[in-house]
This record gives sequence, C-alpha cells and structure tokens, in this order.
Amino acid sequence: MRFSLAVTVLIFAARAFAHHSFTAEFDAKKPVELKGTLLELEWVNPHAWIHMEVKDGSGKVTKWDCELGSPNLLMRSGWRRDSLKKGDLIIVNGSAAKDGSNLANAKTVRLADGTRVFNAGSSGDTGAPGAPVQQ
Amino acid sequence: MSKALLALWCFALAPAGAQWLDYPTKGIPRLPNGKANLNAPVPKQADGHPDLSGLWLGDQWGPAGKRPNPPNTPRATPPEMFPWAQKVFDERRANGIKDDPEARCMPQGVPKATTLPYPVEILHVPGKTVMLYEMYSLRREIFTDGRELPKEFINPSWMGYSVGKWEGDEFVVTTAGINDQVWNIDLAGHPHSDALKVTERFRRVDFGHMDIQVTIDDPKTYTKPWVMPVMRYTMLPDTDLLEFVCEKNIDPQHMVGNK
Repeated sequence: MRFSLAVTVLIFAARAFAHHSFTAEFDAKKPVELKGTLLELEWVNPHAWIHMEVKDGSGKVTKWDCELGSPNLLMRSGWRRDSLKKGDLIIVNGSAAKDGSNLANAKTVRLADGTRVFNAGSSGDTGAPGAPVQQ
Repeated sequence: MSKALLALWCFALAPAGAQWLDYPTKGIPRLPNGKANLNAPVPKQADGHPDLSGLWLGDQWGPAGKRPNPPNTPRATPPEMFPWAQKVFDERRANGIKDDPEARCMPQGVPKATTLPYPVEILHVPGKTVMLYEMYSLRREIFTDGRELPKEFINPSWMGYSVGKWEGDEFVVTTAGINDQVWNIDLAGHPHSDALKVTERFRRVDFGHMDIQVTIDDPKTYTKPWVMPVMRYTMLPDTDLLEFVCEKNIDPQHMVGNK
C-alpha cells in the first residue's frame, strides 16, 4: 500500500490549488516545519485538515491546523481517509498563515522515518486561459 | 519491473473502499498492455458527430509539467478592458483575489468552472449535452434541441444558460444569462457584466484529447471580443466522478489578502 501511494502521488501531483487564492491566506515567505503528533486527519471538503500537537524545546505543546488539498484530490493522489492515524508522528512542511494563527498550508507530509506520504501542493500553476498565473 | 506490470500491480492494490476511483471503463479502445489507447480515433455518436463523452481534465492539472495548451498555441495576450473593469481587475490582483466567491464555496460560473483541477464529465442525451463538474458537484445543461438563447434573462444564474450546435466537427456552445454573483470569469480574476456571452468551441482531437477554445464577448467590459488561448484536455479513463460538497469551509476567516 505504501509503495502504491508513492507511485500514484507522482501521477497526480497535487499542485492544484483552486478553491481559494493561496496568497490571500498564506505567506510563501514564512516556511514552517512542524514535527508532532497527529490528533486527527479531518476528511472534509473543500480542504482536508491535519490537526496536530507540536511540542517545542521547553516542552510546551501547541496545536496546529494544516490545510491539505480536497479529499478528492488526495484520493486521486493515492491518499485514503485512514492514511494517517491518530498518534502518528508526522513532519509537515508548509507555509504559515498571514494572520498569525497556528495555521499552515501543508506542502509535504512525512512520517517520522522520513517517508514522504503526500505532496500537498499549494499555490501557483493556476494559469487560467489567457490569464496571468494566480500568485 | 516493467511499467505494465507496475500498473497492474498498483491496480490490484486499489482498496475496495475507494468507490469507483479505479473502475475499468467499458468499451474504450485499449493497448495490448490494457491501458486506454488515448491516441485511438475520435469516437462518433449515432448521428455521425464526434462523441465528446467521458471524463476530462485540463492538461495544466494533469501529470506534472504538462502545458495547458496544445502545441504551437500562440502566447496569451491580455484583454483590453474598459477603465471600470481594469480598476476592478487591478484591485483583485493587488489583494490576492481574497474575495473570490469560489473561496466561499459558490459556483465558479462559465467558463471558469471548466478551468479547475477537477474532472468534468460530458454526456450526450437526445436534445441536450450535459456537463457534470466534480468541483462543487455543479452541472450544466447545453440544449441541442434547436432552441435559441432568450433575448432577456429574467433569472440570471450561476452557470448561465447554454445552447449548442455542431459546426463540422466542432461543438459550439453559447452561454449567457450568468448572474453578477459570479465575480470572475477565470482564475486570474477578470470581471464581467450582464452583457457577457461566452462561446466555447469543443473539438475532440483523438480518443484521449480534446481542445476547447473560449471567446469572451462582453461589450460592457472588454473593448472587443477576447479569444482565449485554446485549452487542451486529456481524458481520464478507468475512473469516475467523486462527490464534492463544500461542507466545512474555514478559509475565509483567515483570508487577509496581500498584507
């Protein structure tokens, strides 16, 4: 199953980001790397969410919400609603929200052993017909 | 491992819980390795016109790196807008298109709905051609029973009113009556008025590929009709549409624009 995921992710690389403009909500210049424990993979439209707890050096625990693509895009990339389970140790790389909340757009999600489970994709490449790229 | 074997193996691993995400499409041309033959000839309807049926996805959203247009498509030229429209467009660009109704789960309208990263299914039935949009589970009925578009629209709608006819091998669809809650006709944020008329020319190139050329005719917004570059779509075999209901949308409260 894990291998099948890795293959299909390449087929439907989810650089897709319709639904809403990336730049209106997230800042590509504020990269974040969040290491922590999965509370829930919330499987809802228009975006699935990773809810996780991140512990900093002093032991303080912060809750973060990480936006993924839609469940449909995730499924076509090989994900299933049970691809991550509560308690999984994960590493999310992405961009932080502009409004300063503990919210990020996930670009990649890895398991603690480094296995990349998802190419979350984000902004850009939304070139409409005859239009400049939305970025 | 050969690619064919790999494909078979992945297929065999498709979990049963994925509904019809990976269900073989019946009656389509296939290669010896079992994959759909996307370069087979254009299928025909009973009346001899090309059959546009199938699931289609814009090439810009397909396998990474594909360009959105067929080869040799001329570069896009920006449309010339009247001052009010240019002002609206510039404001939208400046604030990151944060107020796009699509981000509030509202329908995208025409032609924008056909430019998104989700499949669109085309079905022909007597008297109409139906387009089913996976994103937000929208649909359009394109009437082919000879009716004409109304002169006035007493009830403008999100996806407008469409009629279609064949010109040779091209299916030409004219759409008007799109409401003013549809805010942008494309992902870039171009505006429109109640005078908007959209013409889409569908041409199936071969079994697996289709081109759509869109002309925007909106004499209150653009100084002259704007012909968009042809968009290339590739067929998605062995899969079906998935439901997409915008059930929990928490983005708008975080959309601050270009701060």
